[in-house]
Amino acid sequence: MLEVRDLHAEVNGVEILKGVDLSVGVDETHAIMGPNGSGKSTLAYVLAGRPGYEVTAGSVTFDGDDLLALPAEERARRGLFLSFQHPVEIPGVRMDHFLRAGYNELRKNAGEEQLDPLKFDRLIRSKAKAVEMEPAMTKRAVNEGFSGGEKKRNEVLQMAVLEPRLRILDEIDSGLDVDALREVARGITDLSVPGTSTILVTHYDRVLSYLEPDHVHVLIDGRIARSGGRALAKEIEERGYDWLEAGAGV
Amino acid sequence: MTQHATATPSWADQFHRFEHNGAEISPAWLRDVRKSAFGNFERLGFPTARKGNEPWKYTNVRPIAEAAFTLAEHAPDAGIDLHAYELPCPRVHQLVFVDGHYEPGLSTEPVSEAGLHSDVLGRHGDGPVVGRLADAIEYRVPLVREQLGRLAPAEGNAFTALNTAFLRDGAFVQIPDGTFVPEPIYLLFISTGAQAVVTHPRVLIAAGADSSATVLQSFHSLDGGAYLTNALTEVVTSPGANLRLCTLQIESGDAFHIATTRMEQARDSRVSSVVVDLGGQLVRRETATLLGASGADVNLCGLYYGAGERHVDNQTFVDHAAPGASSNEVYKGILDDSSHGVFSGGVLVRPDSQQTVAHQVNKNLLLSSDAEVDTQPKLEIYADDVTCTHGAAVGQLDADALFYLKSRGIGEDVARNLLVHGFVSEVLDAIEDGAVRQHVEQAVAECLSGSR
Ligand SMILES: Nc1ncnc2c1ncn2[C@@H]1O[C@H](COP(=O)(O)OP(=O)(O)O)[C@@H](O)[C@H]1O
Ligand SMILES: [Mg+2]
Repeated sequence: MLEVRDLHAEVNGVEILKGVDLSVGVDETHAIMGPNGSGKSTLAYVLAGRPGYEVTAGSVTFDGDDLLALPAEERARRGLFLSFQHPVEIPGVRMDHFLRAGYNELRKNAGEEQLDPLKFDRLIRSKAKAVEMEPAMTKRAVNEGFSGGEKKRNEVLQMAVLEPRLRILDEIDSGLDVDALREVARGITDLSVPGTSTILVTHYDRVLSYLEPDHVHVLIDGRIARSGGRALAKEIEERGYDWLEAGAGV
Repeated sequence: MTQHATATPSWADQFHRFEHNGAEISPAWLRDVRKSAFGNFERLGFPTARKGNEPWKYTNVRPIAEAAFTLAEHAPDAGIDLHAYELPCPRVHQLVFVDGHYEPGLSTEPVSEAGLHSDVLGRHGDGPVVGRLADAIEYRVPLVREQLGRLAPAEGNAFTALNTAFLRDGAFVQIPDGTFVPEPIYLLFISTGAQAVVTHPRVLIAAGADSSATVLQSFHSLDGGAYLTNALTEVVTSPGANLRLCTLQIESGDAFHIATTRMEQARDSRVSSVVVDLGGQLVRRETATLLGASGADVNLCGLYYGAGERHVDNQTFVDHAAPGASSNEVYKGILDDSSHGVFSGGVLVRPDSQQTVAHQVNKNLLLSSDAEVDTQPKLEIYADDVTCTHGAAVGQLDADALFYLKSRGIGEDVARNLLVHGFVSEVLDAIEDGAVRQHVEQAVAECLSGSR
C-alpha cells in the first residue's frame, strides 16, 4: 500500500529525514518509535503533504502512485489520514461544517452523492457516539478550547467519519489518561475494517499495548535504525533508546 | 475639521433649486435648520487630510469634492424587483427608498396621520411606528423636531451638514415604551445608478423605555454607477431600551458611501450595532455612541471587506459619560487585492465614569500583499476605577489551519473560504435576529465567494 524509499527531507534548509525506508502492506499496523526530535512527526507531515517540508531525495508511492506529486487534499481524498500530534485550533469554523466539507470532497472523489447538512448531522452524531464524544462538541469551533484529550478524541472522530485506508497516528496517546486512551484505542480498533493500514507514531510503548503493531521501527536521527516485532518495543521500554543511538553512530 | 476652499458652486446651485422645488412646503423650523446647515457646509468645505486633521488622515474625499452629483428629481418609473433583498421571515416592517425617494408600492408601512399623532405615540402596548420622516414632520410629531439634528449637529461635519441641508424625508422609527417588536424593521435604500445621483438617507430611531426591536438599514446598488450616498442615522434610547441595529452596505464598486451614526444611550439601555461593509469604492463610516447614564451598554461590531481598490474607513467613538456603563467593540477587516482598510476606535472615559468597562478589538486579514490596513485605538481614560482593554492585529490566513483543512480532503479554495468565514463569524454571530443574520450571512457569502 505504502512504499517509502530512501526518503530525504528538509525543513528550513535543515535535513531532518536522512534516508527512510518503510513498506506498509494492507491490513498491517506499523509502529514508528524514536526519541524526541528524531524526525517522527516530520515523516508523518511529509507523507501527509505539509508545505515547508521539502523532499530532497527518495520516493513514496501509495497504491503504486507517486504520493509526493499529490497535494495534501488529494492524498486525503485517496484515503490517507494524519492524526495530528498537535491538532490545530480554528476559531469560527464549526466542526460539523468543516468535517462535512471534507466528507463531501471524499464522496465527490469517489463519485458518490454529497450529503446535505441534515443527513450529515445524523452521520456525525452517530460517529460521535461511537467514539464516545459529546455530539454537542461537533457544533463548536474546530479544536478551540478543547482539552488535549478532547483534541485527540476529535481526531478519532474525524477518522471515523472519513474512513481512511491508511492512518498515520502521531502521538495519539499524548494528553490521554488511561481510561481515555482505552476508549480512543477501542475507537481506532473498531474502525480497522479489512483493507485498513495503520502507522502508529509514538515516543512511548504505552499505546502499543492497546494497539498491537505487527512491525516496529525505530527512527534515530532521521533513519530507521532498527526494525523488528512487538518485542523490539518492549526492549525499548526497558532499555530506552541509548543503545540504539550508539548503534546508529550518533 | 480644517477649512477647505469654498464648496463647489454646484452644491449651492442644487441647494437653491432644492429649496424652491417642493421643499418650500416644509415648516419654517425645518427650512431654517436646512439653511443653517448649508451655511455650515459652505463654511466647512469637505474635510482634507491636512496636518492636524487626524480623523481624516487616511481618507481622501477629494474624488467626492471634485465630482458633480445631483439629486434625483423623482424615483425611477420602472418597477424594481425586491426579491433579491427580501428578508427570510414572514413579516417585516419595511420602508423602501429609491434614489432618495420613498416608494410606497414597495413599502409595507403606510402610516396614517392618526398613527403618527403625538397622543397616540408612546402608549404602552402599541406596535412600532415605522414611517416616513416627511409624514412625521408634516404631522408635527414633537419628537422629530426635538431630536432631528440634536445628536448630529451640522456645525462640525461637512457631510452631516450636507445631509441636513437636503433633509426632506427619510425613515422615522419609534418604538413605544414597553413594546417588544418581534419582526425586523427593514429600511432599504436603493440607488439605481442611472446617473451620478446623490442621496442623503436620513434615519431617526427613538427606542422607548424597556422596548425591544431590531432595525436593519440596508444600502444597495441596482445597477452600478458612481453615485454618492451620504447617510445619517440618529438613535435615541429611553431607559431600559434594547435596540439591535444592523447596517448592511453593498453599494456599487464605483460608488461613494459616507455614513454617520450617532447614538445616545439612557440608563440601562442596550444597543447592539453590527455594520457590514461589502461594497463601494470609497467608504467612510462613523459610528458613535454617548453612554450618558449608568448601566448603558453598547456592543459595536463591524465587518469590512476590501477588494479591488476599495478604501473603507471605520471610525468608532464611545463616550463613557457616566459611571457603570460598558462597551464592547469587535471590528474585523478582510482586505484583498489592493484595497485599503482603516479602523480608528475612539474611547473616552470621562473623569467621573468610574466602573467603566470598555473592550475593543480590531483584527484584519490581509489576503493580498498589496492590501493595506491602518488601525489605531484612541483611548482617553480620565477615571481610575476602570477595566479597559484594546487589541489590534493584522495577519494572513493561518498556514497551519489551512494545512489541517486540506489534510481532510478540502481543496485550497474551499479551505480558504472556510477560514475567511471563520474569521468573520464572530461579527455575524452578533446579529441576534435570526432572519437578519441569515440575510446578512448570505450577502457576505455571495460577496466572499468571488474572493480567495
Ligand atoms: N518547522 C520546523 N523548523 C525547524 N526545525 C524543525 C521544524 N519542525 C521540526 N524541526 C526539527 O526537526 C527535528 C525533528 O522534529 P520532529 O519530526 O518533530 O521530531 P519527533 O516528532 O520525532 O519528536 C527536530 O530537531 C526539530 O527541531
Ligand atoms: Mg513528534
